[in-house]
Amino acid sequence: MQRQVRHLWWLFVIMFAALVGQLTYLQVWAAPGLRTHANNTRAVEQEMRVERGLVVSSDGVLLAANRREGAYYFREYPEAALVSPWLGYSSLRYGRAGVERAYNLELAGESDLLTVRNYLDIIMDRPRRGADLLLTLDSRLQRVAVQALGDRTGAVVALDPKTGAVLALTSSPRYDPGRLDDTWDDLIADESRPLVDRALTGRYPPGSVFKLVVAAAALEEGAVEPGTMFDDDGPWLAGGFRVRNYADHVYGEHDFAQAMTKSVNTTFAKVAVGLGADTLARYSTAFGMSEELPWRLGGGTGRFPDPDAMDTAHVAQAGFGQGEVLVTPLEMALITAGIANGGRIMAPYVVAEVRDYRQTVLERTEPRVWRTPISAATAATLRDMMVAVVKEGTGTAAALPGVSVAGKTGTAEVGEGSPHAWFVAFAPAEDPQIVVAVVIENGGTGGSVAAPVARAVLEAGLR
Amino acid sequence: MVLTSVGFAIVWARQVERLEPASLAVGAVFLGLFGLVHLFRRLVVPHADPYLLPITALLSSLGILMIYRIDPRLARLQTIWLVVGLAFFVFVLAVFRRYRRLADYKYLIGLGGIALLVLTMVAGREVYGARLWIRLGPVGFQPPEFAKLFLVVFFAAYLDDVRELLTVSTRRFLGIALPPLRYLAPLLTLWGLGLLLMIFLKDLGTSLLFFCTLLALMYVATGRLLYVVVGLSLFAGGAVVLYHLFPHVQLRVDIWLDPWQDPLGRGYQVVQSLFAFAGGGLFGRGLGAGYLLSASGNTIIPALETDFIFSAIGEELGLVGAVAIILLYLVFVQRGLRIAVRARDDFTRLLATGLTAAFGLQAFLILGGVTKLIPLTGITLPFMSYGGSSIVANFGLLALLLLASDGAAREEEI
Repeated sequence: MQRQVRHLWWLFVIMFAALVGQLTYLQVWAAPGLRTHANNTRAVEQEMRVERGLVVSSDGVLLAANRREGAYYFREYPEAALVSPWLGYSSLRYGRAGVERAYNLELAGESDLLTVRNYLDIIMDRPRRGADLLLTLDSRLQRVAVQALGDRTGAVVALDPKTGAVLALTSSPRYDPGRLDDTWDDLIADESRPLVDRALTGRYPPGSVFKLVVAAAALEEGAVEPGTMFDDDGPWLAGGFRVRNYADHVYGEHDFAQAMTKSVNTTFAKVAVGLGADTLARYSTAFGMSEELPWRLGGGTGRFPDPDAMDTAHVAQAGFGQGEVLVTPLEMALITAGIANGGRIMAPYVVAEVRDYRQTVLERTEPRVWRTPISAATAATLRDMMVAVVKEGTGTAAALPGVSVAGKTGTAEVGEGSPHAWFVAFAPAEDPQIVVAVVIENGGTGGSVAAPVARAVLEAGLR
Repeated sequence: MVLTSVGFAIVWARQVERLEPASLAVGAVFLGLFGLVHLFRRLVVPHADPYLLPITALLSSLGILMIYRIDPRLARLQTIWLVVGLAFFVFVLAVFRRYRRLADYKYLIGLGGIALLVLTMVAGREVYGARLWIRLGPVGFQPPEFAKLFLVVFFAAYLDDVRELLTVSTRRFLGIALPPLRYLAPLLTLWGLGLLLMIFLKDLGTSLLFFCTLLALMYVATGRLLYVVVGLSLFAGGAVVLYHLFPHVQLRVDIWLDPWQDPLGRGYQVVQSLFAFAGGGLFGRGLGAGYLLSASGNTIIPALETDFIFSAIGEELGLVGAVAIILLYLVFVQRGLRIAVRARDDFTRLLATGLTAAFGLQAFLILGGVTKLIPLTGITLPFMSYGGSSIVANFGLLALLLLASDGAAREEEI
């Protein structure tokens, strides 16, 4: 019988060894996968125990802080109107969005940048803390943009064209990210979709602001010059589609520069048809439309239709930004910034520095060129045409005393209601410091509705 | 030996003190209690194995510590149960010093065990889908935990009587040599009882435990693997039928096969247990730092303080702590089987084997269940899980084992 007892013993050894094996598998081998499993709320719970990094504007205003309740930290947003919706939210229940999501690793203290700091904290028995974000956003300019847009549905983007730094970013309607858990159901049900960041993901028909891209293509390709003459004798038939000017104006003989100043649809339709769908598509891509933005914040991409599927009528409409052309406010700001910066579009960024809680800089964003769609000469020509738009054309409402402003209006027809009002601009024209793109949904004409908003932001940005 | 064992108890009692400064007294009480019980053990069964009681002290202290961390109120109750368990331990040691006499009353004891199970079937209340509880006044009581002891004593005594007859084959059936049917009858009856248990108690764990313990004893008594093979196939056959007849059996197996198909519903408990182990990692999140309780104060894993206490240990003490616990159970099994090997008489040997096997199998069933090594069967982790019946019955088991150990050693001296 001793023999059998020994057999039983070895059976137990095998069984318990299997247990140890299974445990090792669970706790070491499979652990990383299980920890980040979608159904595992432990990861979020653990992050809630860490004091999340602060978010600070470039002029030192606190935009996101923490409130402690028991073992957990909850997010607080002292300037809710300034940060919504682009900064996003961080909620135990509903996850994260915006900057809170894109920079979660840094804010939660999990980033590789923090490896040394975290080890020091473990050794010194200090609690782990997330890294702070210093933004490029200027709270003063941001406040002006928010107030200028007001409660109208739309978006405002302001950039430094020389670096790509985002100076102001807002869209409306907004929500209070600090009260997200209480208001979630209403926000989800709200038909105006306040959770959507229109500046980054709102896809709008650009209307006449797209004439900048058409003109850039035509000038760069040598198809036209500012002095090239055109004749407008009323509606122009393109593939069966009647191209009409705004309010059915008839402009008669004029050159290409004047076509830009007055925003003559018939002329741009002719130029577009002359260039062809392929060339327009190529330049749209070169300006960054329908391309992934080179930053972590994501954002939807606009689109230029598939050139093979476009007939003459479509190409003619694309010439003044109608048809199926779509663009986001940020993309439109980047296109304008490319013109302002001598043909080079800088990669946009909103986080200037990542710092640990001792204010040691862990990462600094260096400006870099993202795309070069056109030559400096073409950019300069376009700039002069845009200066004329504000000086004597459709964009006079954006003029500032003593400063030369370059701009372009857009009035994008939509299926129902008033057209979307667009305005893009930069100033000073000879040494651009700031680029602004404004869209107001169903606002009316760009020159009367969007241009004053851009003017307010430009003025504040140059002060 | 005495010094090491007391030392064990001290170290672990200290551990309790250090980690829970508020309950300094608890540590002192544990130390005092186990010290006293240890001295009593020295007096009554001086030749018994010196490791078993300290291991038990360690496991139950750690268990209470973990329960305290989950719910201090339950820890106070469990402390009372621990004291009751120790009293029961002392009682068994004192009363059954001549434990071999138990063999003379084997049928009475066997019937007692069956009576306890029948009582549960008739009067039991369902908790977590299994009917294990009966109420005695204000106290809930789980008879199967005690039935385990009764049946092991019965099996040991019965097999001691008939083992030689079972090894002699008198007739052949389908080419297989079979012993006289009448000696197999009680065992077949128990096999049937095992299935009845599954049907009426809806408790896979207890029936599996009884059945496997019986098989282990059969094998040790007869040395014939045939019994194990036949027994396992009978059980497997029964299990397959049950799988198709009873949805709760199906559920258990389906969850085991793939808990991820419904991680928020049926698979929730197992999935959360796996998350807990993964969260613990190599060294654990530290006592008190695990994510055991939700904001409302409920445990994230249902039945955390009973069946799933090992998940809490895995999360807070990590792989290192969890493996240490597994090794403690294995050392317990090793000491128990050592008693069986050393015993000079067959009843002592079979008794020690049966008690140890029941103990080791119970630990394996629940440890394997919460780690998804085997399908989950609701059963307590001996000495660690919250539950009065479990801890009291297991102290009874320990007392019997020590009596067998002492008996074996005494004979050696002679």
